[in-house]
Amino acid sequence: MAETVATADTHAADHESFGIDNRKLGMWLFLSSEFLFFGALITNYLVYGGDTFGATVVPREVYDIPFTSVSSFVLLMSSLTMVLAHHALTTGDQNGTRTWLLATAMLGSIFLGGQVFEFYEFINVQGMTLTTNPASSAFFMLTGFHGAHVAIGVIMLLSLFGMAKRQGGLSQQHGMNLELVGLYWHFVDIIWIVIFTVVYLLGAV
Amino acid sequence: MTDEAHHAPHPTTGQYVKIAILLAIVTAFEVALFYLDDAVDMGGWDGPLLIALSFFKFVVVIGWFMHLRFEKPVLTRFFAGGFLLALSLYGIVVGSFLVGLITR
Repeated sequence: MAETVATADTHAADHESFGIDNRKLGMWLFLSSEFLFFGALITNYLVYGGDTFGATVVPREVYDIPFTSVSSFVLLMSSLTMVLAHHALTTGDQNGTRTWLLATAMLGSIFLGGQVFEFYEFINVQGMTLTTNPASSAFFMLTGFHGAHVAIGVIMLLSLFGMAKRQGGLSQQHGMNLELVGLYWHFVDIIWIVIFTVVYLLGAV
Repeated sequence: MTDEAHHAPHPTTGQYVKIAILLAIVTAFEVALFYLDDAVDMGGWDGPLLIALSFFKFVVVIGWFMHLRFEKPVLTRFFAGGFLLALSLYGIVVGSFLVGLITR
Protein backbone atom coordinates (compact mmCIF):
# COMPACT_ATOMS: atom_id res chain seq x y z
CA MET A 1 0.00 0.00 0.00
CA ALA A 2 2.78 2.37 1.04
CA GLU A 3 4.60 1.48 -2.16
CA THR A 4 1.51 2.28 -4.23
CA VAL A 5 1.15 5.67 -2.53
CA ALA A 6 4.84 6.41 -3.06
CA THR A 7 4.56 5.49 -6.75
CA ALA A 8 1.50 7.68 -7.15
CA ASP A 9 3.30 10.60 -5.48
CA THR A 10 6.36 10.13 -7.69
CA HIS A 11 4.10 9.96 -10.74
CA ALA A 12 2.31 13.16 -9.73
CA ALA A 13 5.64 14.88 -9.06
CA ASP A 14 6.74 13.97 -12.62
CA HIS A 15 4.00 16.27 -13.94
CA GLU A 16 4.63 19.11 -11.56
CA SER A 17 7.18 21.89 -11.14
CA PHE A 18 7.06 24.23 -8.13
CA GLY A 19 4.09 22.14 -6.95
CA ILE A 20 2.05 23.31 -9.96
CA ASP A 21 0.82 21.18 -12.84
CA ASN A 22 3.31 21.57 -15.71
CA ARG A 23 0.54 22.34 -18.22
CA LYS A 24 -0.73 25.16 -16.05
CA LEU A 25 2.77 26.49 -15.43
CA GLY A 26 3.45 26.31 -19.17
CA MET A 27 0.28 28.26 -19.93
CA TRP A 28 1.16 31.01 -17.43
CA LEU A 29 4.67 31.25 -18.92
CA PHE A 30 3.22 31.38 -22.44
CA LEU A 31 0.80 34.15 -21.41
CA SER A 32 3.66 36.00 -19.75
CA SER A 33 5.59 35.89 -23.04
CA GLU A 34 2.50 37.17 -24.85
CA PHE A 35 2.95 40.48 -23.02
CA LEU A 36 6.10 40.96 -25.10
CA PHE A 37 4.24 40.08 -28.31
CA PHE A 38 1.34 42.47 -27.72
CA GLY A 39 3.68 45.01 -26.10
CA ALA A 40 5.55 45.27 -29.41
CA LEU A 41 2.31 45.86 -31.34
CA ILE A 42 0.98 48.41 -28.82
CA THR A 43 4.32 50.24 -28.83
CA ASN A 44 4.26 50.21 -32.63
CA TYR A 45 0.85 51.91 -32.48
CA LEU A 46 1.99 54.43 -29.86
CA VAL A 47 4.97 55.40 -32.01
CA TYR A 48 3.28 55.40 -35.43
CA GLY A 49 -0.39 56.02 -34.45
CA GLY A 50 -0.16 59.66 -35.50
CA ASP A 51 2.08 59.10 -38.51
CA THR A 52 -0.14 59.82 -41.53
CA PHE A 53 2.46 60.38 -44.28
CA GLY A 54 0.14 63.03 -45.69
CA ALA A 55 -2.84 60.68 -45.98
CA THR A 56 -6.17 62.25 -45.13
CA VAL A 57 -7.54 59.35 -43.11
CA VAL A 58 -6.13 58.59 -39.63
CA PRO A 59 -7.31 55.75 -37.36
CA ARG A 60 -8.08 57.98 -34.36
CA GLU A 61 -10.43 60.12 -36.48
CA VAL A 62 -12.56 57.22 -37.71
CA TYR A 63 -13.12 55.31 -34.46
CA ASP A 64 -16.72 54.60 -33.52
CA ILE A 65 -16.37 54.76 -29.72
CA PRO A 66 -19.98 53.77 -28.83
CA PHE A 67 -19.74 50.70 -31.07
CA THR A 68 -16.33 49.65 -29.70
CA SER A 69 -17.57 50.25 -26.13
CA VAL A 70 -20.35 47.71 -26.70
CA SER A 71 -17.80 45.25 -28.16
CA SER A 72 -15.60 45.76 -25.09
CA PHE A 73 -18.58 45.12 -22.82
CA VAL A 74 -19.36 41.89 -24.72
CA LEU A 75 -15.78 40.63 -24.33
CA LEU A 76 -15.75 41.59 -20.65
CA MET A 77 -18.96 39.64 -20.06
CA SER A 78 -17.45 36.65 -21.88
CA SER A 79 -14.85 36.54 -19.11
CA LEU A 80 -17.72 36.20 -16.63
CA THR A 81 -19.32 33.34 -18.57
CA MET A 82 -15.89 31.67 -18.87
CA VAL A 83 -15.29 31.79 -15.12
CA LEU A 84 -18.85 30.52 -14.54
CA ALA A 85 -18.12 27.55 -16.86
CA HIS A 86 -15.06 26.71 -14.77
CA HIS A 87 -16.99 27.21 -11.54
CA ALA A 88 -19.80 24.95 -12.78
CA LEU A 89 -17.29 22.19 -13.57
CA THR A 90 -15.69 22.41 -10.11
CA THR A 91 -19.15 21.98 -8.56
CA GLY A 92 -19.92 19.02 -10.86
CA ASP A 93 -22.60 20.88 -12.83
CA GLN A 94 -21.96 19.46 -16.32
CA ASN A 95 -25.02 21.13 -17.85
CA GLY A 96 -23.92 24.49 -16.49
CA THR A 97 -20.41 23.93 -17.86
CA ARG A 98 -21.74 23.27 -21.36
CA THR A 99 -24.13 26.23 -21.24
CA TRP A 100 -21.50 28.72 -20.07
CA LEU A 101 -18.90 27.38 -22.50
CA LEU A 102 -21.31 27.90 -25.38
CA ALA A 103 -22.24 31.36 -24.06
CA THR A 104 -18.55 32.32 -23.93
CA ALA A 105 -17.98 31.09 -27.50
CA MET A 106 -21.06 33.02 -28.66
CA LEU A 107 -19.97 36.26 -26.96
CA GLY A 108 -16.50 35.81 -28.47
CA SER A 109 -18.08 35.33 -31.89
CA ILE A 110 -20.18 38.49 -31.43
CA PHE A 111 -17.00 40.40 -30.58
CA LEU A 112 -15.32 38.99 -33.71
CA GLY A 113 -18.35 39.90 -35.82
CA GLY A 114 -18.10 43.45 -34.49
CA GLN A 115 -14.45 43.59 -35.43
CA VAL A 116 -15.14 42.33 -38.95
CA PHE A 117 -17.86 45.02 -39.30
CA GLU A 118 -15.47 47.69 -37.98
CA PHE A 119 -12.74 46.63 -40.42
CA TYR A 120 -15.27 46.60 -43.28
CA GLU A 121 -16.38 50.15 -42.41
CA PHE A 122 -12.80 51.41 -42.16
CA ILE A 123 -11.70 49.81 -45.43
CA ASN A 124 -14.77 50.27 -47.65
CA VAL A 125 -16.42 53.39 -46.22
CA GLN A 126 -13.55 55.39 -44.70
CA GLY A 127 -10.94 54.21 -47.22
CA MET A 128 -8.41 53.27 -44.55
CA THR A 129 -6.55 50.08 -45.44
CA LEU A 130 -3.53 48.25 -44.06
CA THR A 131 -1.23 50.20 -46.41
CA THR A 132 -2.81 53.68 -46.23
CA ASN A 133 -0.22 54.99 -43.78
CA PRO A 134 1.98 53.79 -40.86
CA ALA A 135 -0.83 54.65 -38.42
CA SER A 136 -3.38 52.45 -40.17
CA SER A 137 -0.81 49.60 -40.51
CA ALA A 138 -0.11 49.79 -36.77
CA PHE A 139 -3.86 49.81 -36.01
CA PHE A 140 -4.75 46.85 -38.22
CA MET A 141 -1.73 44.83 -37.05
CA LEU A 142 -2.60 45.29 -33.37
CA THR A 143 -6.36 44.78 -33.52
CA GLY A 144 -6.03 42.10 -36.22
CA PHE A 145 -3.62 39.98 -34.15
CA HIS A 146 -5.87 40.40 -31.12
CA GLY A 147 -8.84 39.28 -33.22
CA ALA A 148 -6.83 36.23 -34.36
CA HIS A 149 -6.25 35.36 -30.70
CA VAL A 150 -9.98 35.68 -30.00
CA ALA A 151 -10.74 33.43 -33.00
CA ILE A 152 -8.32 30.77 -31.69
CA GLY A 153 -10.01 31.06 -28.29
CA VAL A 154 -13.46 30.56 -29.84
CA ILE A 155 -12.20 27.43 -31.65
CA MET A 156 -10.80 26.04 -28.37
CA LEU A 157 -14.07 26.82 -26.55
CA LEU A 158 -16.17 25.13 -29.23
CA SER A 159 -13.82 22.10 -29.15
CA LEU A 160 -14.32 21.81 -25.39
CA PHE A 161 -18.08 22.23 -25.82
CA GLY A 162 -18.09 19.50 -28.49
CA MET A 163 -16.09 17.21 -26.18
CA ALA A 164 -18.47 17.86 -23.30
CA LYS A 165 -21.50 17.27 -25.51
CA ARG A 166 -20.14 14.06 -27.06
CA GLN A 167 -18.91 12.50 -23.83
CA GLY A 168 -21.82 13.67 -21.70
CA GLY A 169 -19.54 15.88 -19.60
CA LEU A 170 -15.95 16.85 -18.98
CA SER A 171 -13.71 14.52 -16.95
CA GLN A 172 -11.17 15.70 -14.38
CA GLN A 173 -8.46 15.57 -17.07
CA HIS A 174 -10.54 17.77 -19.35
CA GLY A 175 -11.13 20.02 -16.36
CA MET A 176 -7.50 21.08 -16.61
CA ASN A 177 -8.02 21.75 -20.34
CA LEU A 178 -10.96 23.99 -19.47
CA GLU A 179 -8.83 25.84 -16.92
CA LEU A 180 -6.08 26.38 -19.50
CA VAL A 181 -8.53 27.62 -22.14
CA GLY A 182 -10.04 29.87 -19.46
CA LEU A 183 -6.65 31.38 -18.65
CA TYR A 184 -6.04 32.04 -22.35
CA TRP A 185 -9.50 33.59 -22.73
CA HIS A 186 -9.11 35.93 -19.75
CA PHE A 187 -5.70 36.96 -21.08
CA VAL A 188 -7.26 37.90 -24.42
CA ASP A 189 -9.74 39.98 -22.40
CA ILE A 190 -7.06 41.84 -20.41
CA ILE A 191 -5.17 42.63 -23.61
CA TRP A 192 -8.39 44.14 -25.01
CA ILE A 193 -8.79 46.19 -21.80
CA VAL A 194 -5.39 47.76 -22.59
CA ILE A 195 -6.12 48.17 -26.34
CA PHE A 196 -9.51 49.78 -25.68
CA THR A 197 -7.98 52.39 -23.39
CA VAL A 198 -4.65 53.04 -25.12
CA VAL A 199 -5.78 52.84 -28.74
CA TYR A 200 -9.44 53.86 -28.75
CA LEU A 201 -9.98 56.15 -25.76
CA LEU A 202 -6.55 57.75 -25.40
CA GLY A 203 -5.75 57.55 -29.11
CA ALA A 204 -8.81 59.62 -29.88
CA VAL A 205 -8.35 62.24 -27.15
CA MET B 1 0.71 36.46 -1.61
CA THR B 2 0.48 34.69 1.71
CA ASP B 3 -0.12 31.00 2.19
CA GLU B 4 -3.52 31.92 3.66
CA ALA B 5 -4.47 33.64 0.41
CA HIS B 6 -3.41 30.52 -1.50
CA HIS B 7 -5.85 28.43 0.54
CA ALA B 8 -8.62 31.04 0.53
CA PRO B 9 -11.88 29.74 -0.97
CA HIS B 10 -12.62 30.75 -4.56
CA PRO B 11 -15.39 33.31 -5.10
CA THR B 12 -19.00 32.13 -5.39
CA THR B 13 -21.19 32.60 -8.48
CA GLY B 14 -22.76 35.68 -6.89
CA GLN B 15 -19.34 37.20 -6.21
CA TYR B 16 -18.24 36.57 -9.80
CA VAL B 17 -21.37 38.37 -11.04
CA LYS B 18 -20.68 41.30 -8.67
CA ILE B 19 -17.10 41.53 -9.98
CA ALA B 20 -18.40 41.56 -13.58
CA ILE B 21 -20.90 44.32 -12.73
CA LEU B 22 -18.07 46.33 -11.16
CA LEU B 23 -15.97 45.87 -14.33
CA ALA B 24 -18.92 46.96 -16.50
CA ILE B 25 -19.45 50.07 -14.35
CA VAL B 26 -15.76 50.99 -14.60
CA THR B 27 -15.92 50.55 -18.40
CA ALA B 28 -19.00 52.78 -18.56
CA PHE B 29 -17.18 55.37 -16.43
CA GLU B 30 -14.19 55.23 -18.82
CA VAL B 31 -16.44 55.92 -21.81
CA ALA B 32 -18.21 58.71 -19.90
CA LEU B 33 -14.81 60.21 -19.07
CA PHE B 34 -13.90 60.12 -22.75
CA TYR B 35 -16.99 62.17 -23.68
CA LEU B 36 -16.70 64.39 -20.60
CA ASP B 37 -13.30 65.50 -21.86
CA ASP B 38 -15.01 67.22 -24.82
CA ALA B 39 -17.37 69.17 -22.55
CA VAL B 40 -15.18 69.94 -19.55
CA ASP B 41 -11.52 70.91 -19.36
CA MET B 42 -9.98 68.19 -17.21
CA GLY B 43 -6.56 69.79 -17.16
CA GLY B 44 -4.81 66.76 -18.63
CA TRP B 45 -6.08 64.39 -15.91
CA ASP B 46 -8.24 62.35 -18.26
CA GLY B 47 -5.27 60.36 -19.65
CA PRO B 48 -3.79 59.24 -16.30
CA LEU B 49 -7.31 58.54 -14.95
CA LEU B 50 -8.17 56.35 -17.95
CA ILE B 51 -4.89 54.45 -17.55
CA ALA B 52 -5.55 53.98 -13.80
CA LEU B 53 -9.08 52.65 -14.45
CA SER B 54 -7.78 50.34 -17.16
CA PHE B 55 -5.07 49.03 -14.80
CA PHE B 56 -7.71 48.44 -12.13
CA LYS B 57 -9.77 46.29 -14.54
CA PHE B 58 -6.58 44.51 -15.64
CA VAL B 59 -5.70 43.59 -12.03
CA VAL B 60 -9.26 42.52 -11.12
CA VAL B 61 -9.52 40.15 -14.11
CA ILE B 62 -6.09 38.62 -13.40
CA GLY B 63 -6.67 38.36 -9.66
CA TRP B 64 -10.24 37.05 -9.56
CA PHE B 65 -11.20 35.66 -12.96
CA MET B 66 -7.77 34.13 -13.62
CA HIS B 67 -7.57 33.14 -9.93
CA LEU B 68 -4.01 34.41 -9.62
CA ARG B 69 -4.60 35.67 -6.08
CA PHE B 70 -5.56 32.10 -5.07
CA GLU B 71 -2.57 30.48 -6.81
CA LYS B 72 0.97 29.84 -5.60
CA PRO B 73 3.09 33.03 -5.48
CA VAL B 74 5.53 31.65 -8.05
CA LEU B 75 2.88 32.07 -10.78
CA THR B 76 2.44 35.73 -9.84
CA ARG B 77 6.22 36.19 -10.08
CA PHE B 78 6.40 34.56 -13.52
CA PHE B 79 3.43 36.52 -14.85
CA ALA B 80 4.43 39.85 -13.33
CA GLY B 81 7.99 39.22 -14.60
CA GLY B 82 6.79 39.05 -18.21
CA PHE B 83 4.57 42.09 -17.74
CA LEU B 84 7.30 44.21 -16.13
CA LEU B 85 9.85 43.09 -18.73
CA ALA B 86 7.51 44.17 -21.54
CA LEU B 87 6.64 47.40 -19.74
CA SER B 88 10.30 48.35 -19.21
CA LEU B 89 11.44 47.31 -22.69
CA TYR B 90 8.70 49.15 -24.53
CA GLY B 91 8.80 52.05 -22.07
CA ILE B 92 12.41 52.58 -23.13
CA VAL B 93 11.44 52.34 -26.83
CA VAL B 94 8.61 54.89 -26.51
CA GLY B 95 10.83 57.08 -24.29
CA SER B 96 13.63 57.10 -26.85
CA PHE B 97 11.18 58.10 -29.59
CA LEU B 98 9.85 60.93 -27.43
CA VAL B 99 13.39 62.13 -26.71
CA GLY B 100 14.08 61.97 -30.44
CA LEU B 101 11.00 64.10 -31.14
CA ILE B 102 11.95 66.68 -28.51
CA THR B 103 15.58 67.02 -29.59
CA ARG B 104 14.83 66.95 -33.33
